[in-house]
Amino acid sequence: MKKSNRKLTPWLYNFPAFILIGIIVLFPILYTGYISLTNMNLYHWQDYTFVGADNYVRALGKVDSGFIAALFTTILWTVVNMVLDVGIAYILAIGLNVEGLRGRRIYKTLIIFPWAMPAYVSILAWRVGMYNTEFGLLNKVLVALGFEKMDFLSKNVPAFLSCVVLNLWMSLPYMVVMFDGALQSIDRSMYESAILDGAGAWQKNWYITIPSLRKVMAPVVIMTTFTTFKQFDIVYLLTMQKGAVSGSTMQTIITYAHQNAFVSNNYGLSSAVSIVIFVIIIAFSAWTNRAAKEV
Amino acid sequence: MINKTATLSVKKRIRLTCLNLFYIGVCFLGLVPIIYVFLLSVSGGGGALKTGLSILPEKFTLDNYRRIIVEEPFLRWLLNSVVLSVGTMVIAMGTSVLASYAFSRFRFVGKNASMQILLLLNAFPQILSMFAIFRLFRLMNLLDSHVGLIFIYAGSMCIFSIWNMKGYFDSIPIEIEEASKIDGASNFQLILRIILPLARPAIIVTAVMVLIFVWNEYLFATTFMLKEESYTLAGGLYQLQANDYSRSWPLFSAAAILVSIPILIIFFCFQKYMVSGLTAGGVKG
Amino acid sequence: MRKSIKKKLSLLLAGAMAAGTLTGCGQDAESSTGITTEGAVPETDNATEEASTSGEPVTITAWHDNDEAMMEALAAVVNEKLAGENITLRFEKKSDVSGQIRLYGTDAANGPDMYLFAHDSLGGFAEMGILEPVGNLISEDKEADLLPMTIEAASYKGEQYLMPVYYETLLFMYNKSLWKGEVPSTTDELYDYMVENTDTNAGTYALVNQHSNSYNVAPFINGFGGYIIDKDANPGLNVQETKDAISYNKKFAELQADGDYNTVTALFNEGNAAAIIGGPWLISGIKEAGIDLGIKSLCDFTLPNGDVMTPYSGVQCLGVLKYAAESKKEALTRVLEVLAEPEVGITLAKEFNCAPANSKAYEDADVAANEMILAMEKSAKKAVPMSNIPEMSVMWGPAESLLAAVNKSGEDVDTAADKYQKEALQAIADMQ
Repeated sequence: MKKSNRKLTPWLYNFPAFILIGIIVLFPILYTGYISLTNMNLYHWQDYTFVGADNYVRALGKVDSGFIAALFTTILWTVVNMVLDVGIAYILAIGLNVEGLRGRRIYKTLIIFPWAMPAYVSILAWRVGMYNTEFGLLNKVLVALGFEKMDFLSKNVPAFLSCVVLNLWMSLPYMVVMFDGALQSIDRSMYESAILDGAGAWQKNWYITIPSLRKVMAPVVIMTTFTTFKQFDIVYLLTMQKGAVSGSTMQTIITYAHQNAFVSNNYGLSSAVSIVIFVIIIAFSAWTNRAAKEV
Repeated sequence: MINKTATLSVKKRIRLTCLNLFYIGVCFLGLVPIIYVFLLSVSGGGGALKTGLSILPEKFTLDNYRRIIVEEPFLRWLLNSVVLSVGTMVIAMGTSVLASYAFSRFRFVGKNASMQILLLLNAFPQILSMFAIFRLFRLMNLLDSHVGLIFIYAGSMCIFSIWNMKGYFDSIPIEIEEASKIDGASNFQLILRIILPLARPAIIVTAVMVLIFVWNEYLFATTFMLKEESYTLAGGLYQLQANDYSRSWPLFSAAAILVSIPILIIFFCFQKYMVSGLTAGGVKG
Repeated sequence: MRKSIKKKLSLLLAGAMAAGTLTGCGQDAESSTGITTEGAVPETDNATEEASTSGEPVTITAWHDNDEAMMEALAAVVNEKLAGENITLRFEKKSDVSGQIRLYGTDAANGPDMYLFAHDSLGGFAEMGILEPVGNLISEDKEADLLPMTIEAASYKGEQYLMPVYYETLLFMYNKSLWKGEVPSTTDELYDYMVENTDTNAGTYALVNQHSNSYNVAPFINGFGGYIIDKDANPGLNVQETKDAISYNKKFAELQADGDYNTVTALFNEGNAAAIIGGPWLISGIKEAGIDLGIKSLCDFTLPNGDVMTPYSGVQCLGVLKYAAESKKEALTRVLEVLAEPEVGITLAKEFNCAPANSKAYEDADVAANEMILAMEKSAKKAVPMSNIPEMSVMWGPAESLLAAVNKSGEDVDTAADKYQKEALQAIADMQ
């Protein structure tokens, strides 16, 4: 009796969270799976029927060269962003914790600022205020320095880089705060004994700071990786919003799916595409998980 | 040991100056877009976007702020945002602290698998869930209700919160708990009295993340709420300025600044806790 | 054992507390609904005495994503007329109306009774079966004064689904103090003027246009004899005429900044562009900027092939949702009858420069003297109503991508046209 209770205890703790997640996260996925088996679209809005795996055959047809390119872009996007995000945040956080830095609190506060803006505001502000050929600050600076104006978003490579810069601007504050908090959780005495052992700054970093941070930061980094992977707003609002298509054809898998399935208002088909992408994400993360374990 | 009262060496001074300059540069770069938005917001309605290099407005005006605060149900929206944020925070944190604690402390079958599954579930783009949630809420009569929105927000942030806090819980030595257990504290008391205070930085950071998410969310807020007076701040202002054709940039910028200010105030209030870390020795590395 | 009960109890308690906060919020949500913001709506109570036929007061809600002042003015006209019949029309602003109607269009409890949107979205909604044809609610003789073009735009598969209110076309709008000499009457002369008077690096332009937006390029495409989609849902992105028009437009695009809506309107309002191709929705901003505005119909410009520039016309219509027609039939009929009369059009024309759908409205002296409305009326005779078949909704994306690829990324017209034609065909196939 007691033993079975002990087995149940963790699930009791989890229960409220699982109920909530079940309704808001799991149910929509299952429902999407259900709709993906029907022919729900404009022409069968209320009288939709089961069509079996038809939509999946069509959805898999979308896994073509365009999709592979989008998948590649997405992976590149995730890797580039995460490396820069973690690297820069780490350096900034270490610097903020250097002994004797008086302005630390002010710097921290100012660095956090971009985090407070709603995402769509930030993105539109960057589109017009930074990248725009006429009003964008970057182009104003270029012209003032005697260069030609440049359309940052019309070709794929500059557009990709512009999106990366914006993504970093939006996500760094969070990373810096997390790193900063984690850094301060490290036991000071470890450094002190390391200094006694004659360790230099690099050695302290390598042998104490990084290993200590790993455990605390791993979940944060993993979560952010997923967020970055499924990032939609930045690429969409910057380069492909209706009425403001910038000319770059850069696609991530989410924008690709959006453009290829969702604009057609075919709910059955777009649900199948969602599920296919979901499966790909699962496969992808299983693969990275294995790779991470082997390292 | 370093004697802190001793005067800093010249080398150290130079290093600190460089570091200061570096951070001033970083802060400036980070703030440029925000300064730009602010300057737009205090310029008049007409020629707000300037082609010249100078981005300073020709005339300073707070009219855009007045228009939003006076002509729109601004206070109503603010109140709704507060209600939703607090409601979501209570539900999301209440459920996820418990779950996070369980994942960190208990050993049970399916623990790692559950964590992984949660992560994968979270990978499903939320925007794709909207239609399903709409159907469900219609059945449950939760459309056009703040309770429904709180559920959506809390559910959306639950997995994130569990993951965000679990790492921190892991870093709290189990010995502390075992000592209290011997003193006869129940698990629940333990969480309240020992774990929560120890994990305060992680909990506060997570709570603030939840708050920011709710505060800045507009898509669900404008889709699921039907009356103007039940919108949130972000939703209401988005509604006001979503359409390219109806957007006035100065008004839009003023709205953006107004939405951001409460978040900044919260940052100021909680910054101390967010990065305060733990008392030395409380947590092993 | 006892310990575990205690644990469960404390969990229950936590749950109850959570529930408590929830109901707290719920109450707040309910109480907030008591406050309404009906600006121009007259009190229905006063009207009760005059009401002769209908008993219960009826409120008709309509969603829109338009200028709020304009919608309030419209509602005020209708409400004044129907004050004696206990019928109130109330507009609510919703961003992304068409998306919202797709969700709420079958939800009688939460959805609106009507919605206002441009006519090009009609086909999709009609196929979804969520619309009540307006023809079922109002007799034909009441609509006798409506311009045939607007009725045609509001009809799909031979049935009139929508009630047209006003229409818009693109116009050539110029700043009289910046434009040198006469406005030319051929596009080639216009181009020459642009070459002479544009300095992109300094940021001064002769004419700006949203050159990569298919709606704004349609005057060229239609004028060249091309099309974006034809009546039988065949996309025409890679027919020769369309491609010729796109190549011709590209010359102009190079002298028109980045073509983003915000960019071009700001350039014009700021006095850095002497002219803009735009519609009546720009007027309020232009007035605020204090610009001495001149207007010319696009049909006054001759293309190299001898035809004139031919813009799309967009008709803003009110649609009635099926469930609303079941419960509020009489009231809706009355609202539609008022909308079909000239007064609404006259008010919108006078205050907001909208071109009324009712032909009688043009007999009003002020309307007849409005330069902008005259220019639109002139364009409307030639203009091509946007297609309202469901397939139209998926054409905007590929068409805009094609234009952006050609104008902004410098892609070859033929290759890009084939590529996006294929994309359009795929998108249409995906609808089924």
